[in-house]
Amino acid sequence: MAKLKILEFPDPRLRKKAVPVEKVDAALGTLIDDMFETMYAAPGIGLAATQVDVHRRFLVADVSSEKNEPWVLINPVILERDGVEVSEEGCLSVPGYYESVERAEQVRVRFQNRDGEEVEASFDGLLAVCIQHEIDHLDGKLFVDYLSEAKRQRIRKRLLKDRKHRVEDRVAAV
Amino acid sequence: MQSGARLRAEAATVIDAVISDGRSLDRALAQSEPQVSLADRPMLRMLCYGCIRHHWQLRAELNARLEKPLKKRDRVIESLLTIGIFQLSDTRVPDHAAVSATVEAARVLRRPKLAGLVNGILRNFLRSKTSRELPQSEEVTFNHPQWLIDRIRQDWPDHWQQVLTANNERAPMWLRVNAEHATAAAYQARHAVAGSTMKGLPQALRLESPQPVDALPGFPDGQVSVQDAAAQLAAPWLLSDGGQRVLDACAAPGGKTGHLLELLAGSADLTAIDADAERLGLVRETLARLKFDATLLAADASNAGEWWDGAQFDRILVDAPCSATGVIRRHPDIKLLRRETDIGALAELQRGILESLWPLLKPGGRLLYVTCSVLTAENDGVVGPFIAAHEDAGENRVLHDYNIRDLMTEKAPGFQVLPGKHGLDGFYFACLNKVS
Repeated sequence: MAKLKILEFPDPRLRKKAVPVEKVDAALGTLIDDMFETMYAAPGIGLAATQVDVHRRFLVADVSSEKNEPWVLINPVILERDGVEVSEEGCLSVPGYYESVERAEQVRVRFQNRDGEEVEASFDGLLAVCIQHEIDHLDGKLFVDYLSEAKRQRIRKRLLKDRKHRVEDRVAAV
Repeated sequence: MQSGARLRAEAATVIDAVISDGRSLDRALAQSEPQVSLADRPMLRMLCYGCIRHHWQLRAELNARLEKPLKKRDRVIESLLTIGIFQLSDTRVPDHAAVSATVEAARVLRRPKLAGLVNGILRNFLRSKTSRELPQSEEVTFNHPQWLIDRIRQDWPDHWQQVLTANNERAPMWLRVNAEHATAAAYQARHAVAGSTMKGLPQALRLESPQPVDALPGFPDGQVSVQDAAAQLAAPWLLSDGGQRVLDACAAPGGKTGHLLELLAGSADLTAIDADAERLGLVRETLARLKFDATLLAADASNAGEWWDGAQFDRILVDAPCSATGVIRRHPDIKLLRRETDIGALAELQRGILESLWPLLKPGGRLLYVTCSVLTAENDGVVGPFIAAHEDAGENRVLHDYNIRDLMTEKAPGFQVLPGKHGLDGFYFACLNKVS
């Protein structure tokens, strides 16, 4: 298992649209394990392949406190949306920022599980929000896209500045 | 994705550990921080410090809206509710986001049945936060426990409100520039650090905004340390007339030890003791970073007979264990963790330490007694009677730098730095001479 590097906004690679997964095989299984490790270590509750610079349509999620309810959604498609819910979202690709985003309260999703079997399932609560957030990533979309232009630019600038500092600190330490 | 609800649930766990289990905020935070990402830690700290600083006021707002207290096993939800109320009254988090994330946090904390209650109370608070009259009490007004308000008022009849107010403010970050390298002003100029210096404290630099220590130029190789400016008064005071053999009693975590060694610049020998062997490790780390050598002993200052080799010291720094009521702005959990009965026990310990160490001081030598307490019982109440009971003990009221006079208030036989004044922590200093 290996921890992967997470791309950070405004990296243009986060804007790529992912292509469908053709084959659910051992190599994909390894990548999925690495993504779980990366997500748990961060720590986060969901991670899309796009965020680790893999532009194929799959995501991992686990919203449990005990880290024992892992979900793998391959080629996910939202079939139905129900209700409206506003929650405060953050993103491993936009570290340190939380903003309110409106999403469907419930979603019905068709996807393949990690054995490649086709499944349909309904999700609600935090997991529903998380899955919508991650599917957005596969389409090159980020939660900051739901905010005002001014707010998005402010976050973009601060993140670029923070990153510059982080690099400088490392240089100073050496 | 990351969830704002998860972050709040974590903050509620930290606050509950302090309130219900009596754990220190530092320890509870250290345990929780790995559960949140690096970028989220400032927010976690902000929520925890804020809720504990304003504990009495937030609880009053909550109790006015809670029909009956929650069951013991659900008390973490009371902490969560205070986080919700704190966000709605003191932070820039938008109202609807604060409410929804706090409600969701109840589910993260596995109390889904209480999510409705959380929602109801927070919405009620939003509707009535300005209209509802809270039962007025000093605890709510000053956000301190009544016994501590009473003590501070009794000990500081002219300053008590100022002390209580300062205790609820955020403390600035102060650096101590290593005297072997540069003065604070020179360090500031060399590294273009945004901050300010102060007369009488040539090594102290107050940063305009706090920074992680690793980001400080020269921190890893000991050019600079983090230390409140009031604590930086101790070492120059003790050493203003030199000193060959120096004892630093109750040294951990080693801030003042490092300062003493910077001023001694290798010309003397220093022994640092602390009763807690584990905390003595912190002194070792500090000295390694500053590249200094000293004799470190895991030893009990109140029982010198156990470890003292019979060779007297020219200078002794007694940084006595205390209530820490002078540093509440840095450690707001002290207001919740300290009990009135602790004060008498601490004073007893402080007296014991002075009695135990006094024979170790050479005639003509100097002892500086220091606490980070603002309470008479631990300060002049300890040193005054000690001087009265020892013929060879005399107070030394000569200050090594006239400028520091302005930072302190007379509290014979010593001086008190009041918390918040000039941005300093609350410290007490009494300097004793041994008559030869």
